[in-house]
Amino acid sequence: MSVVDILFRVDAICHKYEKYDIDKQRELNAYGDDVFARLYAAVEDAIQTAFNKSEAASTEKNRATAAALNAEVRRTKGRLMDEIPKLRKLANKKKDQILKWMSVLDDFAFLHFALCLGSMLSLASNNGSKVLVAFQDDKIKYYHEQVKGLTKEDLAIRQDLVLALPERIQALPDGITGAAIQTSGWNANSSQPQIKFDSPEAPLDSAYFQQSEESSQFRQEYEMRRMKQDEGLDIISEGLDTLKNLASDMNEELDRQVPLMDEIDEKVDRAAADVRNTNVRLKKTLTEIRSSRNFCIDIILICVLLGILIALK
Amino acid sequence: MSASDPNKLISKADKLTRLSLTRWNADWKSATVLYEQAANGFRVARDYENAKIAYEKASKGQEMLASPWDAAKHLESAAALAKDLSNWQEVGDFYRRASELYMECGRPQPASDALAKGARALEDSKPEEAIQLYTDACTILEDDGREQMAFDLYRAATNVYIKLEKYTDAASFMLRLGLAADKCNATNSQCKAYLSAIVIYLYAHDFKQAQQCYNDCYQIDAFLRSDQNRCASKLLAAYTDGDVEEIKRIAQSSAISNLDHVVVLLEREAPTIDLSTHKVSLHSYNRSLDLYDKI
Repeated sequence: MSVVDILFRVDAICHKYEKYDIDKQRELNAYGDDVFARLYAAVEDAIQTAFNKSEAASTEKNRATAAALNAEVRRTKGRLMDEIPKLRKLANKKKDQILKWMSVLDDFAFLHFALCLGSMLSLASNNGSKVLVAFQDDKIKYYHEQVKGLTKEDLAIRQDLVLALPERIQALPDGITGAAIQTSGWNANSSQPQIKFDSPEAPLDSAYFQQSEESSQFRQEYEMRRMKQDEGLDIISEGLDTLKNLASDMNEELDRQVPLMDEIDEKVDRAAADVRNTNVRLKKTLTEIRSSRNFCIDIILICVLLGILIALK
Repeated sequence: MSASDPNKLISKADKLTRLSLTRWNADWKSATVLYEQAANGFRVARDYENAKIAYEKASKGQEMLASPWDAAKHLESAAALAKDLSNWQEVGDFYRRASELYMECGRPQPASDALAKGARALEDSKPEEAIQLYTDACTILEDDGREQMAFDLYRAATNVYIKLEKYTDAASFMLRLGLAADKCNATNSQCKAYLSAIVIYLYAHDFKQAQQCYNDCYQIDAFLRSDQNRCASKLLAAYTDGDVEEIKRIAQSSAISNLDHVVVLLEREAPTIDLSTHKVSLHSYNRSLDLYDKI
């Protein structure tokens, strides 16, 4: 069984028994009753991931990856800045309209149960009932406040949190706000507020588009390399021109030599034919001369001569 | 071999050829053989004068023997020796005779070769004669339909003209080269020839002529599509603007550098000439155009 299979199985099992996962349920239901809290939690998560990404970008050696991560961080920041007005509105709400009813129902049930219990107990003993009543009073007051809405402290806390958010979002390092923030950079044109890019709502401070040392160095390097490439290409083109010239001259020269070669070919053919003819004739003559008949005649004559010589001796 | 032997051979051969009471027919065959031997002997002994004379006589013998080929060959050797002796008149004569003999054989190629050799020998001492020889050589080749061989001759002739500072003649030769190249579909040589012609005209301060030349050449397809065309147009534009730097830059470019070296030298020198004079001529040209418009 491969690792992938194992992973899938584990995932399936976890999914099946999700409802027994206490931590997860707590997480899910933690802010389930509160829209603001849910949204706030989401924003917190986003900020955290963005922060992690920016950390990774700062340690990343590969420029392209770093640039990509920075871009993502910037995008996240933009998105989060857009969410902030929503959060502000939610923070200022005193009463949670929808859930108020749900909580009211819940509380009613509980209240009812408590009252019944209390009445039963009061019947049992007089003293205990006082405590219970006091307890009930507290509870009722508490629930009353709940029904009414958030406590004043909670409200204040929420507003503070929301106010703190923009700063936290802006504080996320994204590779632009680098070292030189003091020097005035390019003043961004904010004449068209409707058109929104991935830019924060806060006015583009003068240092927003300031080239960091890194990027200007990068640009310089790019220019240098490009110039060197151009030089190299110029040299190559000169060489190619020379080659082209040589090649076309060679072409013409060969064209010139074609008819000469044809002539040579013809003449050599003729000469070869002559030589062959001559050879054949020579062979014929030789065979004729060295034919066996002549040979025998030669031998006989030689014998005769020898005989004559011996006879003379 | 002592020098006397060739001398003896020569005298013997002379005796064979001289008609006298005892001899009614000159024995050219043996005489020629003797002459050739003598000539070789003289050459080995580095007696160029006598060798030359011997070769002349040998060639005459071959003529008598009705073999113009050998005769021509001997004459060429004689001419080479005459060149060593700086006897320019004889050089020209010999080469001409040799080429005539070659033509008799029906071999125009060696004929033009002989003339070309003669011309090359006479380039320094008698350039007009050299040019004449070159022209004749080119004519022979063209008649034979072998223009391709003529390219080198045209180029050499143009070089001589430029040396003589006869620029119009040089340019016209280049145009003839272009024509010959056109017949053989040798586009590269053709375009180079036209570009050289334009450069020569420009060097001769004849801007109008250069412009005209350019317009003529522009009609030709092969030139139109070539690098040389672009270079020429750039050059002419630079001249009209009188931009010396631009001209210098174009002169360094590859299209110009691949031309004949003489032309390249011209082109490199060109920016130093006084452009103001040419501007005057340009103004007059423009004014004449304006007059035309008014009419």
